[in-house]
Amino acid sequence: MTLLLHTADWQIGRTYTRFAPEDSAALAEARIATVERLAERAAERRADAVLVAGDVFDAQAISPRTLRRLFNALAPYTGPWVMIPGNHDAALAEGVWAQARRLALLPPNLHLRLQPGIVELPALKLAVLAAPLTQRHTYDDATAWFDAAATPAGWLRVGLAHGAVQGLLPQDVDATNPIAPDRAARAHLDYLALGDWHGCKRIDARCWYAGTPEPERFKDNDPGHLLWVRLEAPGDVPQVEAEAIARHRWYERALALAVPSDVDAAIAQLDACGAGDVLALTLAGRVDLAAHQRLQRALQAAQARLRALVVDETDLRLAPTAEDIAALRADGYLGAVIAELRDAAPAQQRQAQDALALLAALLAEQRETAAAEARA
Amino acid sequence: MRITRLAVAELRRFGKPLELADLQPGLNVFAGENEAGKSTLVRAIRAAFFERHRSTAVEDLRPWGDSAATPTIELDFRIGEQDYRLRKAFLKNKRCELWIGTRRLEGNEAEEHLAALLGFEFAGKGASRPEHGGIPGLLWIEQGAAQELHEPVRHAAAHLQRALDEQLGSVAASGGDALLARVQALRGELRTPTGKARGALQEAQAALAQTRAQVQALDAAARSYREQVDQLSDLRARHAADENARPWEPLREQLAQAEQAQAQAQALNAQRGAQAAEIQRGEELLALLHRQLEADAREGAELARRSAALAQAQAALEPAQRAQDTAARALAQAQAESSRAGEALARARLEETRAQLQRQLETSGAHARATAELLQRARAEAGREADLVRQAQALALPPKALQELRRQDERLQALALQLEGLATRVAYTLQAGAVVTMDGRSLQGEGQQLLAAPAELTIAGVGRFTLAPGGHDLAERRAEQQRLQAEHRDLLQRLGLQSRAEADAREQARLALLAQAEAAAKALQVLAPGGLAGLQAEADRLGDERAQVQAALAQLPGARPEPTPGCAPRSSPAPIPTLAAALAAAEDAERLRQAAAQALDAARRHAAAAQGAAAAAQREHEALAALRADAGLRAQHAQAEQRLVDAQAELAVKQRQLQALDARIAAARPDILAQDVQRLRRSAEEAERTQRERKLRLVQLEATLAASGAQGVDEALALALREQAGALRRHDELQRRADALVLLEQTLQTHRQALTQRLRAPLQRHLDHYLGLLFPGARLAIDEHLQPGALSRPRTANEGADGTETTNATAATIAAPFAELSYGAREQLGIVSRLAYADLLREGGRPTLLILDDALVHSDAERLARMKRVLYDAATRHQLLLFTCHAERWRDMGVAVRALRDE
Repeated sequence: MTLLLHTADWQIGRTYTRFAPEDSAALAEARIATVERLAERAAERRADAVLVAGDVFDAQAISPRTLRRLFNALAPYTGPWVMIPGNHDAALAEGVWAQARRLALLPPNLHLRLQPGIVELPALKLAVLAAPLTQRHTYDDATAWFDAAATPAGWLRVGLAHGAVQGLLPQDVDATNPIAPDRAARAHLDYLALGDWHGCKRIDARCWYAGTPEPERFKDNDPGHLLWVRLEAPGDVPQVEAEAIARHRWYERALALAVPSDVDAAIAQLDACGAGDVLALTLAGRVDLAAHQRLQRALQAAQARLRALVVDETDLRLAPTAEDIAALRADGYLGAVIAELRDAAPAQQRQAQDALALLAALLAEQRETAAAEARA
Repeated sequence: MRITRLAVAELRRFGKPLELADLQPGLNVFAGENEAGKSTLVRAIRAAFFERHRSTAVEDLRPWGDSAATPTIELDFRIGEQDYRLRKAFLKNKRCELWIGTRRLEGNEAEEHLAALLGFEFAGKGASRPEHGGIPGLLWIEQGAAQELHEPVRHAAAHLQRALDEQLGSVAASGGDALLARVQALRGELRTPTGKARGALQEAQAALAQTRAQVQALDAAARSYREQVDQLSDLRARHAADENARPWEPLREQLAQAEQAQAQAQALNAQRGAQAAEIQRGEELLALLHRQLEADAREGAELARRSAALAQAQAALEPAQRAQDTAARALAQAQAESSRAGEALARARLEETRAQLQRQLETSGAHARATAELLQRARAEAGREADLVRQAQALALPPKALQELRRQDERLQALALQLEGLATRVAYTLQAGAVVTMDGRSLQGEGQQLLAAPAELTIAGVGRFTLAPGGHDLAERRAEQQRLQAEHRDLLQRLGLQSRAEADAREQARLALLAQAEAAAKALQVLAPGGLAGLQAEADRLGDERAQVQAALAQLPGARPEPTPGCAPRSSPAPIPTLAAALAAAEDAERLRQAAAQALDAARRHAAAAQGAAAAAQREHEALAALRADAGLRAQHAQAEQRLVDAQAELAVKQRQLQALDARIAAARPDILAQDVQRLRRSAEEAERTQRERKLRLVQLEATLAASGAQGVDEALALALREQAGALRRHDELQRRADALVLLEQTLQTHRQALTQRLRAPLQRHLDHYLGLLFPGARLAIDEHLQPGALSRPRTANEGADGTETTNATAATIAAPFAELSYGAREQLGIVSRLAYADLLREGGRPTLLILDDALVHSDAERLARMKRVLYDAATRHQLLLFTCHAERWRDMGVAVRALRDE
């Protein structure tokens, strides 16, 4: 029985522009940490080989430091690693793999195929048909040669490729790096390990996408897994098991706020999120001043608590009630000012909202100062 | 507020106490003459409130000359429902008491209460100044201060604002200004008042720009990297392709082949060269043999020629000899001829000489005779000359003597004339029988006498007259004349002459003789230029000459006696030719002789030459004949002939071979072969070079990419993009905040201004109320500091800016700033404004009391009438204390005019 660990799309070197630099750096760091965890898991469960189906790196010109860190992360697993370049880290005349080779970072147990070919692992009686991408955009099926490729008799025949399975993925019709949907069958493969789709997805009994082990976008297509593939004998249907390995959870929420209780619900949701969450929150609707302030406080707290939080409040309106204004104790012409800001024309709505919020904050400040002085 | 009673004591002119009681709630008019104390009372009221009782700056209250005075002021007044009494004493005994109803306050406490009550302040130290006057300072107008409005209003502004704020409390915002200030401060952190970004916003803008630039740069670098990677890929592919194809190898092969063919062609060429050389040698050999044979032939010919020459030479020998003999004979003949001719010449010469000498003799004889004659004549002339000279000498007179004589004569003549001139002339005509004598001489008849010297005239029967001609001169002259005459006679005597004329004649004769002598001398000169001696010498010489010639002649050989002319020459044994002919003949003979000699020489030489030639010819002939007889030479000659034939045959063969080679070489086209070699070599080298260079380029590109790859440009770009996003977020945040602050500030300010506008409204209303009475239709603008601004009045029909009618309907009002109005107008407006403020304050429940001290003195009658209406109206609302010195003017105010008088 051969146990293979199938993973792909590590996208090492990727950075995120939506988050604050600290959060972004932490998330990038987490990707390497996940690889390390993955290697540890492979060692723990005594995997026979680890197949990495492309897009190990997110770009070609990666800094040496990041390269070193990634290859160091492979250390926990000392068995054979089989890797192919994907479309992000394609094996061009010069690029990240050449750089890694120059820096002598490729460990001896790494079988890296930069040209289409077969990796033979005699100890495992395993032949891996590797279809690396050697161009940035390939319009031919890189796995086409699998069909006619010969492997030693009696050996397991596993394919390793990176691309878009035609017709089965909800994508554009003329995607690059196409792969025939029945490649596994046509090439008589025991298993076809694919990369490029970032979610964990079963294509057919013998063909799976492992997806990225650590999510890196808000698309909810079930990322954050690695696949354990158990092969008994050549020709058997493989047993495939997904294991969650991601550190963080990425998700998006859109909340509509109309009544004060909505605000409470929103705050409750925020409070429920923790350090492992990366949240994209969209708030729309109307809130009064008090609720707005409560909401702001909750958001600030969440910012500090969550791994990363992006909030979109463009459609959130401030609608101060009479109580709000009374509470402000804005006498004299301030009341008129507040009214004017509240009823601002749509063209100036956002500015007026902000001004109103500011005014409320300043008045509150004044009140507190006066109260403090009175107490003193 | 209204004052009900005022009492003063020991105050300035009021030494005795003065009390004003029963003051009315409205208008109170007090009239007093100048110096009646009106201003003192106003001062008293002011001092009672404004000056601290302890103040030392109130000396003006002291009565004149009273150093121990205690100016005291007592006031009873009422505000709202409350009665107050104030008593203050200054200087000597300082006191301050305030009764508020029954409650009593003292000193500072009392003063503070008053200040708060009426709305003014006390000075920290010293006298109270205008800025402390507050509201009373505004409403209690001192003399001549009515037109001053700005300062009193400014000093009262805070009090006014407070009063107004409290009145309009429902509209104003507490802490509104503080809030506005805060908002402005926050806004100022991000934007300047003109809207320029500053502070954090400016920094965010800069940071954003920077990150954008960075992203751009990194993006460019990443693009460049990708392009280079593609380039590398392409180069590698082509390099690999060429490594496989090795295009230079076939080229090299072809090159080798071409070179080989070329080598072959060159070999052929070399062969041809060798062949040509052999042919060359063969031809040379042939030529050599030909020459040899020719030489032999020539030799044979030569021998024959020499034989002929020998015969010829021998033949020439004899004639030469004969010629020589002939020439010798001719020479002898010519010599004889020549000597004969010589003799003849000598004879001719001799004759010639003789003839010549003869002639010479004749000529010299003639010459000598001529000379002798000349000599004779010359001598004669010389003699004559000498005679003449002697004669002249005899006649000579000493030159000085002659001169003296002449001078004396002339002087005498002159004197005679002078005397005649000077002389007295006596003309007489005597009667008959008259006996008259002068100096013993008797005078008769008619005549005249010149008297140069005194003379005695005796007239018989009459007497003796002594006539002395006048003049000293005359006497002198006469004396001189006599003297001179004596001298003259002496001289003549000495010289042996009778008279000067004779002397002159002698002299003349002498001169004539001398002239003649000169002529003779001249003739002599002509005859004998060299003098007689010379002439004599000449004659002598000639004589000598003749003798010489005669001697020579005698010496001539064959001398003949001197021929007498006409004698026929004796005939000679031989004909004597002329010299010329003899000379010519001699020359001819000599020439002939020379020619003959030359001829003989020539003939001799010729003969000798012929001899020599014959000998040489003989020798030559013999030599050559001997040579040719040699047998060895014969054999060589035969051999050479044979070899010639062989050589010719060989040469022909070789030439045929050469032609064949040339044909082959031409067929090989060596020029084209050379081109091929060059072309193929260049192509092969080019292909190899391209490959090498591409290899180099590959290495370079790989190195470049390795270096840039190590910089991790993609990763760096991603990081830069992240930073840019962050900068953009921050910038947008700050921008939003700044925009919100700007909007908030603007809104607050707008509302606040509107509020202030509303506050000013009541004031404006009150002002307009009074203004309508003073300047109908006029408006006095109030600014936000509650200060009066410009007064705008409607323009009357005949009131243009420059006095002309205006047709512009919109310029219906003229506005003039307050300060530019006339004194009177300002005074009026000053009072009117204060009344408006008082109305406003009254609406706010504040105490108002108006005091006018001698106001409106600069108003004309019409304005004053209007102002009276204004004051009357105001007095219905406020207590108004009006002090004036023109009692008569204020009798139409509906109240009694109280007189201020000492009581």
